Amino acid sequence: MRIRIIKPGILSTIQDLGRKHYLSQAVPVSGAMDTLSARVANIAIGNPDHAAVIEFTYADAEFMTETDMLMAYAGDGATLQAGDIIIPPEKPVFIPAYTSIQLINNPAGSRTYLSVAGGWDIPEVLGSRSTFITAEIGGFNGRSLHAGDTLASTETFTPITATIFDRLKGETITYPAWSVARRMFLPADTKHIRIVPAHEFSWFHGLALVNFLSLPYTLSMNSNRMGYHLDGEPVTRIIKNELLSTAVTPGTIQVTGNGSLVLLMADCQTTGGYPRIAHVAAIDLPLCGQLKPGDTIYFEDISHQDAEMLYIEREQELQQLREAIQHKYL
Amino acid sequence: MQPLTDIKLGFSIYYLSENAVTLEFGHEISEDLLQQISSFNQLINHHPFTGFETAVPAYGTLSIFYDPIQVIRATDLPGIDCFDKVSAYLYQLNNQPAQIHNVPYNLITIPTCYGGIYGEDLEEVAALHNLSADKVIDLHSSTIYKVYMIGFVPGFAYLGGMSAQLATPRKPSPRKVIPKGSVGIAGEQTGIYPLQTPGGWQLIGRTPLTLFDATRTQPALLKAGDQVVFKPIDHHQFEQYRD
Repeated sequence: MRIRIIKPGILSTIQDLGRKHYLSQAVPVSGAMDTLSARVANIAIGNPDHAAVIEFTYADAEFMTETDMLMAYAGDGATLQAGDIIIPPEKPVFIPAYTSIQLINNPAGSRTYLSVAGGWDIPEVLGSRSTFITAEIGGFNGRSLHAGDTLASTETFTPITATIFDRLKGETITYPAWSVARRMFLPADTKHIRIVPAHEFSWFHGLALVNFLSLPYTLSMNSNRMGYHLDGEPVTRIIKNELLSTAVTPGTIQVTGNGSLVLLMADCQTTGGYPRIAHVAAIDLPLCGQLKPGDTIYFEDISHQDAEMLYIEREQELQQLREAIQHKYL
Repeated sequence: MQPLTDIKLGFSIYYLSENAVTLEFGHEISEDLLQQISSFNQLINHHPFTGFETAVPAYGTLSIFYDPIQVIRATDLPGIDCFDKVSAYLYQLNNQPAQIHNVPYNLITIPTCYGGIYGEDLEEVAALHNLSADKVIDLHSSTIYKVYMIGFVPGFAYLGGMSAQLATPRKPSPRKVIPKGSVGIAGEQTGIYPLQTPGGWQLIGRTPLTLFDATRTQPALLKAGDQVVFKPIDHHQFEQYRD
């Protein structure tokens, strides 16, 4: 299965669930900004969760299928259309060869993930297929996708993928009635982000902490895959110690010298020297991956025990989802 | 190598994220802390728990990353949640008599072409300190540096030990492009840029060595604990190295 990129859009990269074993050499995790959507796109066609997907940023991108395809997409950056035909998200879709697919703007979010049967055939670099552009490693030759690039899938299909493909293939765009219902995994208010107080939480003024947990913060234009600068009430410090650089991870919220917040995201550095006020609960980090400049969020604190429990419950729900699709087809 | 037996290190553990805890050994930059953190890093890598993924050393901390699903299922780890289970394991590991050795760290020589187009700020740095350019090169290349941690960009080593005489503030405005291999000074630190990035360091030279290469088994040339010396080379040698 193969596609050719006609228009790459603002930033389209190959991602998976990240590069976890080279943090001590300062290689960032990278991977999908919204891992939930990336996983849903893979699960919907029977791929392993960590198969390589394309992460599109916003819309205005276009590609052409060069063979018959089994694909799925998920995420809030765009809706896929073949001319006038809307392709529904979060379900397996058969698309015949030589269909032109456009990404049409979806104001709800910023990133959309496209999976293909067998995963995109991209060599692993340091244990992951994710693109990290700064060091030109992973993904499609270490860079974002350009017009004219062709991307092929691997030939390794799981039994579920092979069965879904057999049932759907034909002459026209075809998909089943069911879909994954990603919304089921999302809270009612996706702009309400749960956090766990971080190690330097008590370095800040009580009033500043009250502000942090009650006032809105807005993504500035200075936001990308490395991190988001947040505009809002500055957070003032009571303890003015210097922090020696130490490990940080995607989800860490640092406070810079002037009291403004930086939420670290997928491509963040592995260490940092700014005091850390909070850490976004892993369950809500995919919501952050869909934010765009101008979006306003609120923070709510939970305990680290609750954050961990929510993480484990989410993994169990995704496992149940995989099993449900397996039962449907095998 | 001297065997260290029955080491008991002093650290506290705090929550970093759902998949990591941080062991805090201290709050200063010292060779003693570097040795303690390197020892425990070696210990955990030789005796990993179920679900252990990687450990990230820094000046005063060692952060332990893991897969929470494997940890929560591990019946050999006592505790009600991952943080408890991993913490209990790490304390117990620290209390067990263990045969561990001082880690055999390498002494790595960094051939460096100082000045000229390779280190455009050499003259400026020399003038600022009322030193000759040769004296700056001499001071910079006659020290054995220690790698305290790798951070900032892949393969970037935080080096300790630079002569205080060379401490120089950063450039007032950062350069948009710093060639990879550039050797620079910022405040009391010296370092080598592994990748072409923007940056504000004063550039005094450049090495033809590749500090980070994703195709190597050990992509970063340097690791925490290594010793580093800079060896002055001329531009002919620089070009030869590159070939």
